[in-house]
Amino acid sequence: MVNPLVALVVFLVVVLALGVVFWPRTGLAARAARRSSHSERVRVEDAIKHCLTVETAGRRATLESLAGALEIPRGEAAKLAERLTELDLARAEEGALALSDAGRQWALRIVRSHRLWERYLADRTGVEPAEWHAEAERLEHQLSEADAERLSAMMGHPLVDPHGDPIPTAAGDLPAARGIALPSLPPGVSARVTHVEDEPAETFHRLVRAGLTPPAMLTRLEAPGNRVHVRIDGVEHEFDALAAGGVTVEPLAEGEEGDTVTAHATLASLAPGTSARVLRLAPACQGPQRRRLLDLGVVPGTVITAEFASAAGDPVAYRIRGALIALRRRHAEWIVVEPMDGEAAA
Amino acid sequence: MSPSTFAPRPRKAPELVQLGVRGGTRHDILVALAGNPNTGKSTVFNALTGLRQHTGNWPGKTVTRAEGTFTHAGKRIRLVDLPGTYSLQAGSSDEEVARDFLLFGEPDVTLVVLDATRLERNLNLALQVLEITDKVVICLNLMDEAKRHGIAIDPAQLERELGVPVVAAAARQRVGIPEVLEKIEGVASGRITTRPFRVRQHPAEVEAALAALVPEVEEAFPGIPNARWIALRLLNADARVEDAVRAGAIGGIAPADGADPAAGARVLEAARNQRWRLSPTFHDSLMESIYAAAERIAAASELRGLRKGKFDLDRTLDRLLTSRRTGLPLMLLLLAAVFWITIAGANVPSRLLADLLLGTVHPGLKGLAAAIGTPGWISGLLLDGVYLASAWVVSVMLPPMAIFFPLFTLLEDFGYLPRVAFNLDKMFQRVGAHGKQALTMCMGFGCNAAGVVATRVIDSPRERLVAIITNNFSLCNGRWPTQILMATIFVGALVPAHLAGLASATAVVGVAVLGILAMFLSSWLLTRSALRGEATSFSLELPPYRPPRVLQTLYTSMIDRTLIVLWRALVFAVPAGAVIWLVANVHLGGASIAEHAIRLLDPVGILVGLNGVILLAYVVAIPANEIVIPTVLMLTVLSGDMSGGAGAGVMFELGTPAEVGTLLGAAGWTALTGINLMLFSLLHNPCSTTIYTIYQETRSVKWTAVATLMPLVMGFTVCFLVAQLWRLVAGW
Repeated sequence: MVNPLVALVVFLVVVLALGVVFWPRTGLAARAARRSSHSERVRVEDAIKHCLTVETAGRRATLESLAGALEIPRGEAAKLAERLTELDLARAEEGALALSDAGRQWALRIVRSHRLWERYLADRTGVEPAEWHAEAERLEHQLSEADAERLSAMMGHPLVDPHGDPIPTAAGDLPAARGIALPSLPPGVSARVTHVEDEPAETFHRLVRAGLTPPAMLTRLEAPGNRVHVRIDGVEHEFDALAAGGVTVEPLAEGEEGDTVTAHATLASLAPGTSARVLRLAPACQGPQRRRLLDLGVVPGTVITAEFASAAGDPVAYRIRGALIALRRRHAEWIVVEPMDGEAAA
Repeated sequence: MSPSTFAPRPRKAPELVQLGVRGGTRHDILVALAGNPNTGKSTVFNALTGLRQHTGNWPGKTVTRAEGTFTHAGKRIRLVDLPGTYSLQAGSSDEEVARDFLLFGEPDVTLVVLDATRLERNLNLALQVLEITDKVVICLNLMDEAKRHGIAIDPAQLERELGVPVVAAAARQRVGIPEVLEKIEGVASGRITTRPFRVRQHPAEVEAALAALVPEVEEAFPGIPNARWIALRLLNADARVEDAVRAGAIGGIAPADGADPAAGARVLEAARNQRWRLSPTFHDSLMESIYAAAERIAAASELRGLRKGKFDLDRTLDRLLTSRRTGLPLMLLLLAAVFWITIAGANVPSRLLADLLLGTVHPGLKGLAAAIGTPGWISGLLLDGVYLASAWVVSVMLPPMAIFFPLFTLLEDFGYLPRVAFNLDKMFQRVGAHGKQALTMCMGFGCNAAGVVATRVIDSPRERLVAIITNNFSLCNGRWPTQILMATIFVGALVPAHLAGLASATAVVGVAVLGILAMFLSSWLLTRSALRGEATSFSLELPPYRPPRVLQTLYTSMIDRTLIVLWRALVFAVPAGAVIWLVANVHLGGASIAEHAIRLLDPVGILVGLNGVILLAYVVAIPANEIVIPTVLMLTVLSGDMSGGAGAGVMFELGTPAEVGTLLGAAGWTALTGINLMLFSLLHNPCSTTIYTIYQETRSVKWTAVATLMPLVMGFTVCFLVAQLWRLVAGW
């Protein structure tokens, strides 16, 4: 019989070894896979994508901006720029990089892949919204043109990604984002968000958390200096000009009324026995869950009554279109409602 | 996630018609049966087809398909039961299957079952069906339920609103069924003409796009009845509809000779142009207009003003069964009652069956075989091997299942089970699973294969997979004898005699609870790793309570659950029995295969605190947990060259646990062996019936492999660790 102490030690060593090699993201296997994917093609594609993004925003790509966006030292950025010129994808003009036609076409394809992947992750998988961008960054380089077309077809040729950005067509058309940059919006004016830059990631997440995703409505408020104050859904937020610059808004048209003053309630805040009318589903609600809610009748105008909570407090049973449906708190928070006064609907 | 995982295959025209309609028996009328989940659709199906049904899978999918044929007024009618869906937007496999069949399977009539107690929500599906086809009959079911809840619906008014025949029915009592048949025949033959209601009022931008697109569709496919629906689907860039338009095979109109293939391309081009003009959330507003229409129609057809009685039974029951104070205790009480009735009630019948099949029939058969001069090996193989294994499985499996499943089905019929899922969902949420997993877990305590089948009630793909893979940790019926025996012999022996009974009972319950904990842990692990990206959505409908039909339930649960699982188990037990006998009686180089295997497996076995006999028994008894102990006893006697037992290759059991204890003790078993056997019995791979069922339900080799190997790895690891720690502490 084997000495139990020896057996345990061997077991621990084996488990540790397996952990070191196979641990997700930080394990040796994961690192090796990442290294092999950081090939030159990936760098080149990231570079031209950056150039395209910057050009669409009306600015010019420089070595500094390239180094900052790709998080590489300036020396490497210079070498990368050289490579782009070699490959005829960009030209160096007066200290800036300008995309050639071939470069623009290629960059559009990358953007298309990126946004298609985000749409896929949002609609067909349970991956968390915070991870869509990072996953798509990784996957965009692995999609061939034919595969991109198949992916698009499978999802019904979506027009926009889950953040509201238009998806370039296979032919390379990309409608320009309508509107102006948020810092250019005069104070006191209400506007609708049409586009949010997804780089840098930190800023992007902050903007999303504050609710600045298409098609949210906001009102710019007076603020000193370079700060940008906005009010969304009754809540005031503050950003510096740089962060706000990544948000494109379209002033509301004549006769369009926007209400950014009232803080809206969500279904989750409804006490048992009370009713509310649905206003809309939050933009964060995407994919299979959104479809399920729509199918069950959670559409604008529906009156929902909270009936009773479960023994554990969550989920809560709601009367929706005559049926008793239990929804989790997490999902009820996505349903924006307008509380109704008076007794619960019979 | 690789790009190759999602390539849809474009369908060719003839294939579209073949979609799921089996060849074989001819029929005169093909009827599709559609409806929301929980509308009594299956009751309507059963009422129409009786037992003349066939169940299978939709081609290429994991969705179940049932169809049946019957004759009415001289015509053969084939009824295809579509999956219960809330909508036809093709967001899930179920919806895709239903939508594809309605669009491309060309049924002569579509029968839509609506729940009278939830008319407004049900109308969503009805209106979507009416957009696709003219030939619809509505069965307004559960009218008796509606009456009890103070809801009265005027079928004639509903018929006027919808423009198709509406039959009021209560399928449970077979009320309205003849009228349904009559209407089906009428619509199919053209005797009844329909003028279906079509949602006219879509949002302005959608109407504008349709105004531009519908003429194109009608020009390319003249005479098509549902041009508006096709245009809507094209605006949604529905891949299947696009393929069909491209191929020219829409709505039963086969491409005429010399048909202009460019017509389809023109339509698609026009659709694409229109799409860019629409706002991204126009799909939401489509649902809005459908529901606005549903609301109006329901309001017009429902007779309001009927007050329910002062005493609302449903509300009171819900308050009782889901409140913080009374909900959980009542639930535990009910479940404990179900288990207690099962165990207590199955005891005597199991004993009787065992005495009959093993004590009387077996010797009788052996005597008969000897009398007609059958060679020893045939008699041994067939009677001692195959027959004994099967008899054991039946006598252990049948009585508990025959009690447990009907009880469970009664609770389900009553409407209580969704409340259990409702109460427990919070716990399951935390590990990434669905509240309904509590129900499938309970079913698993009866039989794991039945538990896996029960996961069909979970309609979210990720949660369903988690429930399937972790179902094995529910301690099924077949493993209880092993647990009880080992606990009595080995755990009972560790404590003073007057506490022995209590100790062993606690040990068995402890193992069951450990199984539940293992289930939670593995659910958590799976949703964090292998199942991280799978699609998930949650909704739980709480249907109204209804008085269960006891006799009907007993009958259907016997057929659907008990007998089918029993049949599958027997199918696997037969070869197992043969293998067991052969392994013990075929000799190679002086010793039987069994002895060789035991000697080979002993080192590994002892390392993990078991032994070679146990490992071999688990290998050959993969088909059924019920025969593990008898096999162990047989192998122990065989390898230990001991007296006792009934011969080589003949499984047996002893009268009292004490006798078993003596035998095993003589073979070198210790308390560690007994306890580790209990742990391994909980944490080993599923039985072959369950593995087969998992494959049938998932159609995926990958997940079947995970479900098989994960518990096995856990079992070995746990036994290994327990053995080392035990030996460290107790001295080896």
